[in-house]
Amino acid sequence: MSRKIIIDPVTRIEGHGKVTIHLDDNNQVIDAKLHVVEFRGFEKFIQGHPYWEAPMLLQRICGICFVSHHLCGAKALDDMIGAGYSTGVSMLPTPEKMRRLAHYMQQLQSHVTAYFYLIVPEMLFGMDAPPEQRNVLGLVEANPELVKRVVALRKWGQEGIKAVLGKRMHGINSIPGGVNQNLSIAARDRLLKGEDGLISIDDVIEYAQDGLKLFYEFHEKNRQQVDSFAEVPALNMSLVGDDGNVDYYHGKMRVVDKNKEIVTELDYHDYLDHFSEATEEWSYMKFPFLKALGREAGSVRVGPLARVNVTKAYSDDTPLAKAALEHFHDYTQGKANDKTLHTNWARSIEILHSAELIKVLLNDPDLQKEPLIITPPKSAWTGEGIGVVEAPRGTLLHHYRANEEGNITFANLVVATTQNNTVMNRSIRSVAESYLGGKAEITEGMLNAIEVSIRAYDPCLSCATHAMGQMPLVLSVFNAKGELVNEFVR
Amino acid sequence: MNLSASHLPSSFANSSLEHFSLEHFSLEQYNNSSSLIYGIGNVGRQDDGLGWAFIDWLEQEKLCDKAELVRHYQLHLEDADLISYKKKILFVDATKSKSVKTFEIEQLSPKMDFSFTSHAISIPSIMATCQQCFDCLPDVYLLTIRGYEWELQEGLTQQAQLNLTTVIDYFKREVG
Repeated sequence: MSRKIIIDPVTRIEGHGKVTIHLDDNNQVIDAKLHVVEFRGFEKFIQGHPYWEAPMLLQRICGICFVSHHLCGAKALDDMIGAGYSTGVSMLPTPEKMRRLAHYMQQLQSHVTAYFYLIVPEMLFGMDAPPEQRNVLGLVEANPELVKRVVALRKWGQEGIKAVLGKRMHGINSIPGGVNQNLSIAARDRLLKGEDGLISIDDVIEYAQDGLKLFYEFHEKNRQQVDSFAEVPALNMSLVGDDGNVDYYHGKMRVVDKNKEIVTELDYHDYLDHFSEATEEWSYMKFPFLKALGREAGSVRVGPLARVNVTKAYSDDTPLAKAALEHFHDYTQGKANDKTLHTNWARSIEILHSAELIKVLLNDPDLQKEPLIITPPKSAWTGEGIGVVEAPRGTLLHHYRANEEGNITFANLVVATTQNNTVMNRSIRSVAESYLGGKAEITEGMLNAIEVSIRAYDPCLSCATHAMGQMPLVLSVFNAKGELVNEFVR
Repeated sequence: MNLSASHLPSSFANSSLEHFSLEHFSLEQYNNSSSLIYGIGNVGRQDDGLGWAFIDWLEQEKLCDKAELVRHYQLHLEDADLISYKKKILFVDATKSKSVKTFEIEQLSPKMDFSFTSHAISIPSIMATCQQCFDCLPDVYLLTIRGYEWELQEGLTQQAQLNLTTVIDYFKREVG
């Protein structure tokens, strides 16, 4: 009797999704799919709004990576008014550094949330641990001192975002052509020195290393499992600067293969020439791919693992992260790393990298300077703009067009989780085959292994920021006739 | 301790306080810098805005102006740190619960109820985290006000507005 298993919704991710796994009569995996069943329609309802509202409204897609959406939209509007990269204009130093500072702070904040709140509990307690233990509240009981440090890190990130963007959530600082305020000396000093309930930036860097240490300990104890869990092939994509290394705010889109050879490198303004998107009737989430390579071979991985695969080295002004990245690269002897759980290793490196980048910027006197904005003549208006940034989860793109009255007529958003759609499905299939294949009895721990593979990508399935209450997990097992034969609820 | 006003009629202004154990609950005790009044909700989701609306009223009337007043969409684990600096906290939230006719005030105790998701965590879990991580436990009350609609729309429903008025009337009697 063949069976179908549904995990709905997948828990501890941003947004709602479900997983179906089809088993044949011998309990071998026939198919495994991640379905995204949430539809928000932001691209449609932004149409008709004044162009300058786009970065303000569209950041409300997400309550976690809103800064990325805000900055991506602002970059697109820079283009639109004739003050952006597409028109050959470079952002002024102060506004660009203010935007970068906000971006790095959000990366720190987002990665800390994903890593310590959602992923570490499984690393410490195991995938088979009871669900009531393997979450951050279980961590509070087991290691309150660690949680205290994580809370201090998150608080620092929140206060930093508030200082730079004007609000703790859904900020208002980036405007077409620049920013509306620089960073006051008082705000800078509070973040640097740690006053009024905040830790200092040096403490941030120290605490940021906790994640890396935890991963090393976990890896040491569980090397075989960590290395073999969902090792799936994919191309790797990241924005890179002129030196060919990751630039989280601006650069060219570079794609590398298993040998880290460059497959393609493009100006993101030309993305429509290079990328296409496939659709499936079973999911609202599209499947982007490089046209030249086709859907299967041309699907890319984005996010922390992809970025550390693309990057050769970090700069000397982030020495701790630089050393950590060298160690990471040594592990796969120069080849790209396809091990899904090593995404958490990459994420912990990026937590440290963000913290060190923030310290460099906070000490930059340009943050207190002016001017803050470029105001091009009305004749420079292009009516179209594209912005790309490296969001915590990977490469994020906003593309807008507006009419002569300045109202949005078109919007296209390609978010990181969409880019990862194919590789996430590959990971689910891999884990399903390893953990469920051939097993007569399906345990809660096996199903959690599927979720662990998804959570490694920290997917944002259009974050429901206003969700109320607890999201239940319902697992239903159906026979070949579609009859419910078993059900788990947690 | 549960100081319930669940069965208050909406024409509360004419009711006698003596019938309720709420009589010992006073806003005045929050009018100091070691107190926090925390509105939970979202004004873009109709009656979910009740918590913030209560904070709006406090600000308009300049009540508890020595306390820290905050409005947030949802609780975060970091709130364990926030409450660790305070002695008295009043959370204000909307509720869908039909058992709450108008409003309810209850004292809360710490409890690790493992309710955490990245979008939701309970006040008792926040308190338990505060106790575990920061070795302190403030005095926490929750004021819940009955709401009815949570759709994507600004503005309270008429009935929720009436309930808010009842709450305000109660506290006005206290301060007036």
